Amino acid sequence: MSAPHKATGILPAAIAVFRRELLAEWRTRVAVNSLFLFAFAVLVLVAYAVGPTRLSPEDRPTVNAVLLWVVLFFSAMTGLSRTFVHEEDAGTAAALRLSAPPPSVLLGKLLANVALLGAVTAFIVPLFVVLMGFTIRDLPLFVLLLLLGTFGLASASTFTAALVSKASARGTLFAVLAIPLLLPPLVGAVLATRVAATETEFSAGLDFARLLVAYDGVVTTAAFLLFDAVWRE
Amino acid sequence: MRLSSGAMRLVAENLSRSFGRRAFGPVSFRVETGRVLGVAGENGSGKTTLLKTLAGLIRPSAGRAKIFLDDEEAGDGHEPRDIPWRIGWVAPDLALYGELTAEENLTFFERVRGLAPAPGRARTLLERVGLPSESHSQKSLSSLSTGQRQRVKLAFATLHEPDLLLLDEPGANLDEAGRSIVQKVVASQRLRGITVIASNDPRDLALSDERVTLS
Repeated sequence: MSAPHKATGILPAAIAVFRRELLAEWRTRVAVNSLFLFAFAVLVLVAYAVGPTRLSPEDRPTVNAVLLWVVLFFSAMTGLSRTFVHEEDAGTAAALRLSAPPPSVLLGKLLANVALLGAVTAFIVPLFVVLMGFTIRDLPLFVLLLLLGTFGLASASTFTAALVSKASARGTLFAVLAIPLLLPPLVGAVLATRVAATETEFSAGLDFARLLVAYDGVVTTAAFLLFDAVWRE
Repeated sequence: MRLSSGAMRLVAENLSRSFGRRAFGPVSFRVETGRVLGVAGENGSGKTTLLKTLAGLIRPSAGRAKIFLDDEEAGDGHEPRDIPWRIGWVAPDLALYGELTAEENLTFFERVRGLAPAPGRARTLLERVGLPSESHSQKSLSSLSTGQRQRVKLAFATLHEPDLLLLDEPGANLDEAGRSIVQKVVASQRLRGITVIASNDPRDLALSDERVTLS
């Protein structure tokens, strides 16, 4: 007696998970609303409280870099944990466990979170630059840092969400686990963003970019190696 | 419909599970292809936990559950969690995606299970469990009645023509027409594999050939 299929290919299943996540988000808009509203509210608050004129020209690159990444970091903390927590709360996790290869679940959800955080970043960063008068001298480096930083935030948040999804105090546990995990790339991203705001040479920020590439690679690889045990146990 | 081409066996030996206190077991049984095992027992006797263990969703605390496929008479068999694509499972605490329609749900699970593309398979299956087209193609699953959702769960569990079908309270929330669908599902499963039904309802248990009672 042979089943009509064997173990599923990871990529097609991951694409199916990714598409379902986006379709569900499009219909419910729960994560989108919380991410965008949080990011927009903090941005407006920062713009009113600090604004482009209350900072000295010397302080502006550093403070703006910190504020930008604070907005992105807390947006990720607000919306990205939902991806696995909702599966457990709604009772759909068991159906997914029985049906999809574990790496495809992680990959699909990671891609969905990257897309979500990427959309928030694309929305917030231009507004931030305008409202805060944030001058970027090295745009290619800045864009590269945003891509690497956003991916790192999404990757670490997605795996941490999977880790805490079965726990009772998920909100607290997510923050406790995610903050130390996300601090190293955040520090690197802030320092690199300051470089992008003050230097015109792309090579000036390359060390930070390499640091972020290494971080993204290590965290994502570790997530895929550990996810099977996290998801199935 | 895929017909059975060989024998398979589900074997449980001193299987038990505890969460601090005993949930069920130890229990032993052996079921062959074409047979239906009924699992009876009072509320809290561990029927649902036993079926989750057989589905590979929970590890047993002691003992073992093994599935022996066609040509593996002499082998060690497979742990259920290693061959999830051969298992179908329906249970009261199983949920599908409420924001999708029934058809979108089945199509999604077709894709993640890697089933060979078959246009209309999901729709045909939903019609077979008695869901009219306006229920499965237009309304989100969360807007369907509990009984209709139970029918969608039956379609989900049989979507991939599993060798082992685990039905936990399959008749819950179903009307008489729905119960006859459960009978048809069990009759189809007899042709391709093993069915395990856990229930307190005598009408569900009457579909079984042999029975274990948990205490």
